[in-house]
Amino acid sequence: MTLTTDRKNKKMPKEELINLDIDGKQVTAPKGVTVHRAAEINGIDIPTLCSHKDLTPYGGCRLCIVEIEGLRGYPLSCNTTATEGMKVTTENEAIRDIRRDVLQLILSEHPSTCMVCQEKVECEHVLGGTVRKSGVTTGCRWCPNETDCELKKLVELMEIEELDYPTLYRGFEKEREDPFYDRDYNLCILCGRCVRMCQEVRGTAILEFNYRGPHATIGPAFGRSHLEAGCEFCGACVAVCPTGTLYEKASKWDGTPDFQVVSTCPYCAIGCQLDLRIKDGRFSSAVASHDEVVNDAQACLKGSFCLGEVSHHFTRARKPMAKEGNYWREKTWDEAFDIAVEKLKDLVPGDFAMLVSPDMTNEGLYASQKFTRMVMGTNAIDSTARRSLSGRLGLWADLFSRPISIRGIGNASRILVIGLDTRFNFSIIGVEIRKAMQKGGKLVAIDPRENNLARYSDLWIQPNPGYEGNLLKALAGTGADLESGASEAGIDPELLKEAKEIIESGDDLTVILGPGVFHYSSVNKLIEGITAFASKDNTTILPLYTGTNARGAMEMGTFPELLPGAVSRDHSETIEIFEKKWGGKLASDRGITVDQITSGAKKPKVLYLAGAVPFFEKPDCDFLIVQDIYEPDFECDLYLPASSFLESAGTLTNLEGRVQEVVRVEELRDSVRYGRARPDWWIFSQLAKKLGADGFDYEYVTEIQREIADVVPGFPEPDKIDREARVTETPGTVSIPEAVGNPGKAGDGKFILVLHPEGYTHRGISITSRVEGLQILNPENGFYISQADADSLGVEEGDILLVKADTAVGKAKARIEKVLPEGVIYLFVPDSLGGVGGRKDLDNLYRLERNPVRVEVTKSVL
Amino acid sequence: MTGTAVTLDLDGFTGIRSDLIPILQHAQDSLGYITEEAVRQISQKIRITENEIYGVATFYAQFRFEPPGEHHIQVCMGTACHVKGGQQLSVSLEYQLDAKMGETTLDGKYDLEQVACLGCCALAPVVKIDETIHSQLTVLKLRKVFDEDEES
Repeated sequence: MTLTTDRKNKKMPKEELINLDIDGKQVTAPKGVTVHRAAEINGIDIPTLCSHKDLTPYGGCRLCIVEIEGLRGYPLSCNTTATEGMKVTTENEAIRDIRRDVLQLILSEHPSTCMVCQEKVECEHVLGGTVRKSGVTTGCRWCPNETDCELKKLVELMEIEELDYPTLYRGFEKEREDPFYDRDYNLCILCGRCVRMCQEVRGTAILEFNYRGPHATIGPAFGRSHLEAGCEFCGACVAVCPTGTLYEKASKWDGTPDFQVVSTCPYCAIGCQLDLRIKDGRFSSAVASHDEVVNDAQACLKGSFCLGEVSHHFTRARKPMAKEGNYWREKTWDEAFDIAVEKLKDLVPGDFAMLVSPDMTNEGLYASQKFTRMVMGTNAIDSTARRSLSGRLGLWADLFSRPISIRGIGNASRILVIGLDTRFNFSIIGVEIRKAMQKGGKLVAIDPRENNLARYSDLWIQPNPGYEGNLLKALAGTGADLESGASEAGIDPELLKEAKEIIESGDDLTVILGPGVFHYSSVNKLIEGITAFASKDNTTILPLYTGTNARGAMEMGTFPELLPGAVSRDHSETIEIFEKKWGGKLASDRGITVDQITSGAKKPKVLYLAGAVPFFEKPDCDFLIVQDIYEPDFECDLYLPASSFLESAGTLTNLEGRVQEVVRVEELRDSVRYGRARPDWWIFSQLAKKLGADGFDYEYVTEIQREIADVVPGFPEPDKIDREARVTETPGTVSIPEAVGNPGKAGDGKFILVLHPEGYTHRGISITSRVEGLQILNPENGFYISQADADSLGVEEGDILLVKADTAVGKAKARIEKVLPEGVIYLFVPDSLGGVGGRKDLDNLYRLERNPVRVEVTKSVL
Repeated sequence: MTGTAVTLDLDGFTGIRSDLIPILQHAQDSLGYITEEAVRQISQKIRITENEIYGVATFYAQFRFEPPGEHHIQVCMGTACHVKGGQQLSVSLEYQLDAKMGETTLDGKYDLEQVACLGCCALAPVVKIDETIHSQLTVLKLRKVFDEDEES
């Protein structure tokens, strides 16, 4: 199976350039851009409050007026297309006068005393912020946007010191009922950036101008809250607001950040680049970075709003702790290591097992497997990534051996999306699909649930859950395949024929597979479908999975059957290389997998959980070591505090194979208050040294990166992290097995239960359990049930449902969704079970072997 | 403003984006005003979010989001009426009937609307109640009109 297209090599039409004269400077710009953008590209500033490079021309603020030779009056530079030979003047006395007047008019509806106050300078420089002695109606008393305010910058630029117009205060109530950000429309200048961002780029259209003229406001329909209206809470509107109207709750009063650094989001495999803003040595807020390669100034709610609370939460455990008799005592690192060494020193293979989280950095993962293999002498290292990469590792090794491109979606002419909702998870994919659609691309969506893409897809097919793979296989085949596929999935064959026509009518095809489809028992069919599509010309497959660094985990070899480089453990040549490089004999045992531990098939004496917590209760073992950023919900014998993504440096591998840096932005300050958290790789290497092992003399993270670059083909040297997309090509990779998975018992009952991976975990905990805003949204909790089924069961939102599959019984709240098909209920399964203690009742359902499965549903009477 | 469960008949429309205003007009004709439920149905039909539809509909003065009242009151805000105190008439009406412009009174008796010009500028300021034009009004005269109406 080889893939014939590489989007990167595809010939893109060459950009045509035009020449023009701006302020007497001869400049060039791409054909088709506006005069404003042409000036911006060439470093000439034209003041504006409404123009934005990602948005269509709007011409709302009227500040960007210029003079253009041959055009009458003062055209707006933001909606005049630059043409060859144009002569533009961006500033002279007349233009300045008009702009000053226009800005004053804008200010007459904006509380503006903070900008024209006589004591402004003193206030900012002496007191470090406004004293806010002016009233609400005239001053910016509620505005936190003191130094970031674009309006204020323009007032300073145009030297406006007093206002000639009366001020109108619109007297709106501040809107604070939604999570993550506040809105104060008294400060709004109706520039429309947020509206256009929400519609054009995100395709969500939650924000819209309501009414007109002096009554114009911004918001969802019928005065609903953003929550009711279906907002994605991606934060794109907050990021483009030129005033303090939209502001993040958490960092609102932090003040102007001291500096910002670009880092990688630690929450999913897209690997968005974020600008982390730092105030007083502490993380303040995150904004999606203008990154050319991955996310282009977009992010999802997790990246925009969930970083600070997960790292700074008051329940963070930052000190080594150990159980002493009945007591839980604080330890120094040396004491903690001594306790660990005592327990670990005389173990034989089979007595020890380590589970690592796919949310760890490559460096932590590499050190963990080297520690297990070389120090503990066993292959008993496994990762909960095994669950993220469901459907066997061989499949994923194969998927990762093909080029994957996220930004490529934006240029695709035909897109087939299976089982993906981009409202909260993978929302960058949604943005890219939207881009492709705007360029004339066509979208076919296959999902039993209505997702946020189905609304603007050209065709939405709603099969019976579990049959998405069958449809993919059918779509790759001929007429007869279509008929049989459609009848299996319970849909009209004509629909499938139409879908096939659409996806085959373009020059190329991108198949996007949501994380849920890999978790079905029928994954065999899906694999056949993928294989069939992958052999076609101009077809790209983009598989999505939960677990940030699951691809990295595979490449670092944190599985019993894989060595670093995702090479099979049985590949003798590679074993030789590693034995030479690591200076010791490699273990040859079969190791212990996460499923063997959770099912109780294997019971190691000492269990080492590094970030992975796949249990609700303490697993059965003599000694339990937990290394994480939070203590687990159950008792353990030794707790080692790991540093969070803000406190340690490292790299993460995204789904395209790009190795991207996580930058340390907070110092590790050893103190009573800040604790003594340490990076994962440091803990492993120190422990290895205490156990007398060689080859763990890492002092800096770069040393370990250099070693990884040495043994993993394609992994960049620490000073050459170029973020190039890579394919994983390895000899002797685990092959795709003929039959996959245990189909399990079909079960009986009227309902079909679908288990869907959720994507709201980080390391051992649920992000939701630490982030207040997410608790309000809480998208992953409860059974999703259709309105019709709820009515027939007599269930209302929030009632407890009892779901019974064979012997497994689970209880959770009902969540009614209007558009779900009848007879189907959805349950979201977290990757880690820390911080979700309230969902213990669902444990049996989480472990069901078959998915989807027939179940009985009743209303619980309590 | 609760939406009634009346289903709109949207069969005559193809479901393209530019159908929005004809569909909204159709909804207002058949339901009397634009209900939340109607917006939901239109959203499904032409695949534009409810927020966008609401944004478009509120832009135009012709669409209303409240059930119409028994009597329709139009306050003229044309140039002549404005100069002669149309704004005061509006404000006093809002106080007297306890409803804002564009709304319907709680008892469903009156709905209020501001219009640009009724074309009888010589009689300014005027208020039109149903088909009757009350001319050269003052706030007191206007109150009297309503008091008489209450008595009868």
